[in-house]
Amino acid sequence: MFCGIKSPEQRRLTVRCWMSVPLVVLFSLGAAAGVVLGHWHGWAAYLVAVLPALPILWVIYEFGVYLAHEKDEFQRMLLAQCLLGGIGGTLATTTIWGFLEDFAHVPRLDLAWVYPIFWLFVLVSWPVVWRRYR
Amino acid sequence: MERRVGSPARYRFDDRFLFIIVPLFLLDAVLGGWAFHYRHFHPTGILVYVCAALQSMPIIAFIVVLGLYLAEETDEFMRALWVQSLLWGTGATLAVTTFCGAMEKYGQATHMGGGMIPFVFYIAMIASLAVNTWRNR
Repeated sequence: MFCGIKSPEQRRLTVRCWMSVPLVVLFSLGAAAGVVLGHWHGWAAYLVAVLPALPILWVIYEFGVYLAHEKDEFQRMLLAQCLLGGIGGTLATTTIWGFLEDFAHVPRLDLAWVYPIFWLFVLVSWPVVWRRYR
Repeated sequence: MERRVGSPARYRFDDRFLFIIVPLFLLDAVLGGWAFHYRHFHPTGILVYVCAALQSMPIIAFIVVLGLYLAEETDEFMRALWVQSLLWGTGATLAVTTFCGAMEKYGQATHMGGGMIPFVFYIAMIASLAVNTWRNR
């Protein structure tokens, strides 16, 4: 499945990103079950709430490792620009939404959506950045 | 006193920050402080969206100014420092929002407004920039 990826760094990053997906699901379900069934609150709830964030932190760490180790400067720059596009889009969306919450009383933005919104903007940025260097 | 000479891109970044971002933040503060808190201004209809867009302007403008700086900066080292800091800011923001989202879902924390997220990002980014600069001094 990953044999088509030539760079070992890219292959490593892709494999680890895919590995994180079941971990997010597993940890989220575990944390939800712990809080709902165990009725934990206080410090125990804080510790459980950290669980779904751990694979996300791992993915971010892996991206940092990739950017540090990727020898192809061009590929590194492309990814950095996409990630910047992602955070720019995320900040713009959440800021506008935050003020609309205050003024227009739109539904509250569930913070768990910030992570998917970020990756959505990274995906949108990718063809734009790629096309610039075609 | 040592005079530190930056790159032309850095000068342009400083100028844009001073003449675009700062006035927009002032406008934001005036609108937030005077109109909404002192005058109890309650916009309706299209004015709601105009006010939300006006208050979001400093954050969006700062993102654009940062993007322009990264595009114009010719010093690879400085660009790498900024990119690293932006990535650390991104990482911290995503981690904090995921954690707070989970806490909210379990009813253990109050809602963190979307307007707070950029501040989490900028605090983490500035802290990371300071650490990176110190490490490479």
